[in-house]
Amino acid sequence: MLETRAFEPEFIQRLDNLVLGVTRARTIRAGRRNVGRIQGGGIEVENFRQYAEGDDLRFLDWSAFARLDHLAIRTFRADRQVELTVMIDASASMAVPEGDDKLGLALALGAGLAYIGMSENDPVRLAAFARRRDGRMLETTPFHRRRESYPGFRDFVTGIRCGGETRLAAAVGELLLERRQAGIVVIISDFLVNPGDYEDALAQLLAAHHEVKVVHVMGDREAVGAYPPPGAYRARDCETGEMREVMIGAREAEASRQRVELHANRLCDFCTRRGISYARAFGASKLDAVVAQEFPRLGVIT
Amino acid sequence: MGLLNPGNLIYGLGLALLVLIYLRSRARPTIDVSSLILFETAPAPVAKSRLLRLDLLFWLEALTLGALTLALAGLYVRRAVPVGLHRSHALVFDLGAGMSAVDGGVARLDVAKKEALEIVDDAPAGDDFSVISYAVEAETRRAHSRNKSEVRGAIAALAPAAVAVRPAALRAAIIDARGAATIDLFADRPPPTGLVDEARPDRRVNFHQVGGPADNLAIVTLDPGVPRGSEGRCVVRNFSMRPQQCELRIEAGGREVFHSPLILEPRAQMIVPFGPLAAGGLVHARILTSDALAADNDRYALAPSIVQARTLVMSPEPEVRDDLARVVLAVNPNFLVTAVDPALFVRSKAAAQRYDLAVLHDCDDRGVRAAAKLFVFPEPRLDGAAPAPLLPVTGTAALAEFQSRTDDAPLTAPVVLGPARLVQLPGWMDPLARGTNAGGHDSFPLAATGRNAGGEVGVITFDIRNHLLLDPDRMDALVLTIDTLRTMLVPPDLKVVPTGRSVPVSVFGQATLVKPDGSRDVLPPDPWGRVHFRPLEAGRYFVVAGPRMIEVDANYYDAAESDLALIPPPPLPHATPRAGNAPVYREVRIAPATMLLILLALLFILAESALIVRQASRWGLRHV
Repeated sequence: MLETRAFEPEFIQRLDNLVLGVTRARTIRAGRRNVGRIQGGGIEVENFRQYAEGDDLRFLDWSAFARLDHLAIRTFRADRQVELTVMIDASASMAVPEGDDKLGLALALGAGLAYIGMSENDPVRLAAFARRRDGRMLETTPFHRRRESYPGFRDFVTGIRCGGETRLAAAVGELLLERRQAGIVVIISDFLVNPGDYEDALAQLLAAHHEVKVVHVMGDREAVGAYPPPGAYRARDCETGEMREVMIGAREAEASRQRVELHANRLCDFCTRRGISYARAFGASKLDAVVAQEFPRLGVIT
Repeated sequence: MGLLNPGNLIYGLGLALLVLIYLRSRARPTIDVSSLILFETAPAPVAKSRLLRLDLLFWLEALTLGALTLALAGLYVRRAVPVGLHRSHALVFDLGAGMSAVDGGVARLDVAKKEALEIVDDAPAGDDFSVISYAVEAETRRAHSRNKSEVRGAIAALAPAAVAVRPAALRAAIIDARGAATIDLFADRPPPTGLVDEARPDRRVNFHQVGGPADNLAIVTLDPGVPRGSEGRCVVRNFSMRPQQCELRIEAGGREVFHSPLILEPRAQMIVPFGPLAAGGLVHARILTSDALAADNDRYALAPSIVQARTLVMSPEPEVRDDLARVVLAVNPNFLVTAVDPALFVRSKAAAQRYDLAVLHDCDDRGVRAAAKLFVFPEPRLDGAAPAPLLPVTGTAALAEFQSRTDDAPLTAPVVLGPARLVQLPGWMDPLARGTNAGGHDSFPLAATGRNAGGEVGVITFDIRNHLLLDPDRMDALVLTIDTLRTMLVPPDLKVVPTGRSVPVSVFGQATLVKPDGSRDVLPPDPWGRVHFRPLEAGRYFVVAGPRMIEVDANYYDAAESDLALIPPPPLPHATPRAGNAPVYREVRIAPATMLLILLALLFILAESALIVRQASRWGLRHV
């Protein structure tokens, strides 16, 4: 299974020099009244800007005013931690097509992102979401801050099994009920749900001032329309159990591939419009390529 | 169709099973997909997936299965195929008594044989012939033979029978022959209107009438009367349109009792009295004058014995004893009848005597010693009674109806008799009449006779109380009783029978039959020691079994068959159509349709395969 690669030294070694960039929540402009939710600024000056009416005079650079007779406000890098929550889809659809190991890919990517997120000792946790039989929507690990505790995710990663419906919006709702401070939420899923469901979920996260990153996972065969093989079938939705009779041929395979593409484009457009980082991870066989090419889209920098 | 053959049925079921497996395999597999969203644009299949899909493929497979099943079941078709160089002929011969009539010194059957042989000789090589005869029943003497010598042999072996032709036999013969391109019917008179058309709707029967109107005299009946009691009567009939003179001689016991020339008016009959005879025995009447048909010029009858035979009549009812005694004396006035109540029989002097005939009404035989026993309304066996009865009674009919005589047509109206006992007849007894319970349909014997090792045994199952035998409205019951008694009183070594009917003779072993023409046949016995044969010639037969010899005299007379005067003259000989302008016959043949059905099945399979390939190419699939 692919998720075990997340704990292999070679893989981890590739992630050692990577840092998860925070574009929104990590930097604050201390001194402005409208950022009062972030109490206390840092000590490292980030930038200067011209004074504007209403700015806190405590951040006025008096030395510069004395020397230059110009009012300038100092801004600081916030001296706070950003919580990273990696939500991994563990619904039944992640196990289909069998052999494509979508869940393994998602777990490997999620664990990798968690490892990267721990580079600055930020609290990081993994969460699996799906509607289980007992009604639970979200299953999370404790926060880990230091990379030395990264192996603590192993049991969680290797213990997740697919099952149940996706219910992304419900899982996000359950996450937001924790009322934690805004952080980074990475959602790794195949997003094979009604677009309204994931749009609602992502909107809720944005409304809660989280920085949201999306990793769209698909199987190798699924992404190119190679599943199922040509023939006449009774297709059963693995999550809803709904049946439909389909006749798969070359034309239908192409239509399925285009359908995947259309679905991904729609998700990508939504994310782009809302400032959400979007990355594709189509195919478990392309794990290394995804890490190399798609992680930067998520703000992973060297 | 051979679907009732268990083997074919199993084949059919096996095919059906294979097709079910095939259809099941065609049911689409179910696969799990991550979401049906990805297949929203995928087309639905041509038809919904079900275990059984009634699409074109299904019907092609069903037709294939049907064709294969019918092929295995052996379906055949009747095809009218044009006759080419080789034609099939059917030569159908009437072998009734009329065909033995002589015209100008030549028997009619010989004329028919000659005409048939000409047809055979004129036919080109390769034509096949069937030789079919009919009289009492239809018989195929030679079927579809191209060997002309065999056909000629079969024609030469034909011999007339002294029986009347049954229309059903003619119909069966035509039906047997209707597969042939041409049917040539040889008879001395035209067949009944509509009968040939019914059997051969296309009316393509070439009728060859042999002979025409002829003068014939016949002995209709011969009643020997009662020896030393009453005169006998012989009825002679003139079928000719002209007065006829004949010489009649009657012999009894080898002695001539009547011999006189007679002149008979046109189409009239004369009753010739003779006797009374001095003794019982065989009486033989004979027309010495030759006429067209010889088979009806002899007649035999059996005069009752004059020996004072002892007869015991036993019944619990005095009036029944009186009625039975009257009937017995009517059959033979020379009988000495002793009537006794069964309750008093054992203690009476009558129990010590031996009887020639015992008539037992509603009682068991009480140890009666008699050469012949007639049980009337036999008594049911009481539980535990011993010994087992000769004729076990299985039940009682509350109101029996006399329906039919065994050797005669059913009665016009059933005769209500009264209560009757249901008797389980042993195999050595032959029923003489049958009846049913009033309103019922299950028939049971009303009278039967037979011979076992102990002697002659007869049974009349209906009750004769309340003077049933003397009731003028139920004379059939009296006639049946008299006939049963007469049958039982026939000497064991002498029988007088009509021709054409099966004659059982109790010899208790294998026997040799000597026919009137001197030929011999070996007759195997049935499980009850009887041999059976059917006399087809009038005259004397002898059944020889060891030292014992039974004489069977066969009489022939049939008013219709013997009436040769009303036969229309044969039509003028018509010219045989030449081959050049001969009509194109089509021969009806019954041919198995196996190859045709297999070809159809292959066509269906090919059509299905083409359909599948088309669908596969349309969908770009490598499998379907």
